[in-house]
Amino acid sequence: MNNNWLEENTFHYSDFKDLNRLVEEKAKKNLKISLCLPTLNEEKTIAKEIIILKSELMTRYPLLDEIIVVDSGSTDKTTEIARAYGADVYLATEILPRLEQFKGKGENLWKALYITKGDIIIYLDADIKNIHHRFAYGLLGPLLLNDHIKFVKAFYDRPISIGKNKMRPTGGGRVTELVIRPLFSLFFPDLTQLIQPLSGEYAGFREVFERIPFPIGYGVETSMNMDIYEKWGLEVMAQVDLDRRIHRNQDTKALGRMAFIILKTFINRKIRLGLIDLKDELFDEMIQYNLVNNKYQPDIFKIEGHERPPIIEIPEYREKFKIDQERLHNLQKA
Amino acid sequence: MDKFLTQLPGLVDEIKSLKEIIITNIVLIGQTPAPTFKEKKRSKIFRERLAEFQVDEVTTDGYRNPIGIVRGTDSSKPPIFVLAHLDTFYEGDQTLNYTIKENTITGAGILDNSIGVGVIASLPLIFKKLDLQFESDIVLAGTIQSIGKGNLRGVRHLLKTWPTPIRGGICVEGIELGRLNYYSDGMIRGEIACSISDERNLLKDYTPNAIIILNEVINEIMNLKTSQRPRSRIVIGKMTGGANHGEIAPEANLGFEIRSDSYKIVKKLYGEIRDVVEGMSHENEVDLNIKTISNLRASRLKYNHPLVKHSAAVIEALGIKPVSRPTESALSIFLSHKIPAVTLGITYGENRYFENATMEIEPMYQGIAQIIGVLKAIDSGVCDEQQLA
Repeated sequence: MNNNWLEENTFHYSDFKDLNRLVEEKAKKNLKISLCLPTLNEEKTIAKEIIILKSELMTRYPLLDEIIVVDSGSTDKTTEIARAYGADVYLATEILPRLEQFKGKGENLWKALYITKGDIIIYLDADIKNIHHRFAYGLLGPLLLNDHIKFVKAFYDRPISIGKNKMRPTGGGRVTELVIRPLFSLFFPDLTQLIQPLSGEYAGFREVFERIPFPIGYGVETSMNMDIYEKWGLEVMAQVDLDRRIHRNQDTKALGRMAFIILKTFINRKIRLGLIDLKDELFDEMIQYNLVNNKYQPDIFKIEGHERPPIIEIPEYREKFKIDQERLHNLQKA
Repeated sequence: MDKFLTQLPGLVDEIKSLKEIIITNIVLIGQTPAPTFKEKKRSKIFRERLAEFQVDEVTTDGYRNPIGIVRGTDSSKPPIFVLAHLDTFYEGDQTLNYTIKENTITGAGILDNSIGVGVIASLPLIFKKLDLQFESDIVLAGTIQSIGKGNLRGVRHLLKTWPTPIRGGICVEGIELGRLNYYSDGMIRGEIACSISDERNLLKDYTPNAIIILNEVINEIMNLKTSQRPRSRIVIGKMTGGANHGEIAPEANLGFEIRSDSYKIVKKLYGEIRDVVEGMSHENEVDLNIKTISNLRASRLKYNHPLVKHSAAVIEALGIKPVSRPTESALSIFLSHKIPAVTLGITYGENRYFENATMEIEPMYQGIAQIIGVLKAIDSGVCDEQQLA
């Protein structure tokens, strides 16, 4: 296990609060930066995220070149509000319409690669109640100031919002501690150094994201960590302490479903990498139970576990970003 | 100045072009909790925002009121103050979460007074955007310890210890757009506490009930004669007490406010209430105490003072009808120091004292243009022409 990584590649957002320096580095390296917010019914938080990030990192400090929202089909006013505050809003179903349609966060993140023009893409969840521009510049800092770092993940002291304006100081990360960390400890001890491997906020260079597959649902963060680690090693990865993130609390059943998806993603990755061999197919239904009129009734949650291939394999993407076969071959070889 | 009045409506769109930054300031400052006496965190972020917008000086006064100064072009002119109180009635000290929709922002304390503080923090940038320069220094202040038991201590200290004369002042409040306060009532806020000790109950034939005792106090207060001229009134605003439904209340508290445009009348009424309290305490053999929470002397600008006339003209130039009522805010401290000042509101809103307090975003840009207009008026000398009555 690489024990130095945690010390050398872990940062605090305040290390990068000199935004003028980041702007200079961006200009010097001639980089474009895109921010992507994947959404599904986020009308309560989306405006605040767009306004604060636009104010601080576009208007005041020209770090972001675009803010895009990729929506999974919100039934509330998410898309109207996002448009009203100046974000470029896309429906996931309208991006690469030739392909079979799926619905999920991973799908939105993957399709954002086709829509965005940035050399660096920042992904932030759209439900952050205490959004602050540190969430974006904290992730950008290591990428702009360290040439070897290609992917940065956030971690937090995660209070959970338990009611109107009430918080408890610690908590969250239950799926991490009960599912991911044990799995990483068993199979990828290096990755246990990621304090919050499931955090929904990360940033990286396009050359990384375009060359890894994206599960369409919750498994995207798990697979991303494993794929980047397998392909480029721990050294290209970093993590940043973004202080506090207030998010919605999820009930145990919802976390159970999340854990199911993550386990399935993990096991599929292990199979693909040839590290384990299963004698039978995995089932694709999470079965939970509800007590209704004193009878237990199954509540079945079907998860098919679709996965998008590296987007560089999609012809439309290669055409848009002018990647010819030779370059593709070289990239794959590399 | 007349020329500037005609230009004023045109500034609204230019101010609106900074909407992301203005809203960000309101939200980032407003989400930082600042119950009275615990304004430190909000004070810090207010100073940080002012510093980021490169005001010429950011500091705190001796009482820890955060201040930013935008230097004027004529050092011989006294400074103009723009201030908003930093503290909120909302007592929680956890981070607040505001929700922004298409034309509203919702969250505890947004109307009183996150808007005011956020707008003041945005003024340096707005001055730059509009290419505005002033002869006077503009002092941008977020005053601490204003509400309730704070009794306007922050602004009292700020104005009392400021080393130079002050040319004029604008107090910024979240709501309502169109308000033009230029006079303040005399006011005393007080609390009456009734407490019944267990020990004394044993010696009595019956157990007195603190809530019922206070109810009798209220009845007596209602019988006091308040005059129409000088205008005066007593507001019973707050009552707490009791332990649970089935027990006789051992304690109860009553909050009240006496207002009048004559402070003499306020003091007279307070004396009468004190007599009621002492009499009740004696008759019922209970601990009944009265104390003053805060007080203000009545003070005013004349309605024909140039600052009042010009402020009304500014508001009207923006298509809004000015509304004048008395106020019990920092304005009275300015006026008591013989400094001409007005209080202005920024926008419209609802549920002022609740967690779902909501402000309208769009009218805010007019509210800000109005501040610019009044600042320009003061800077052009309207407060220099006539001494405060």
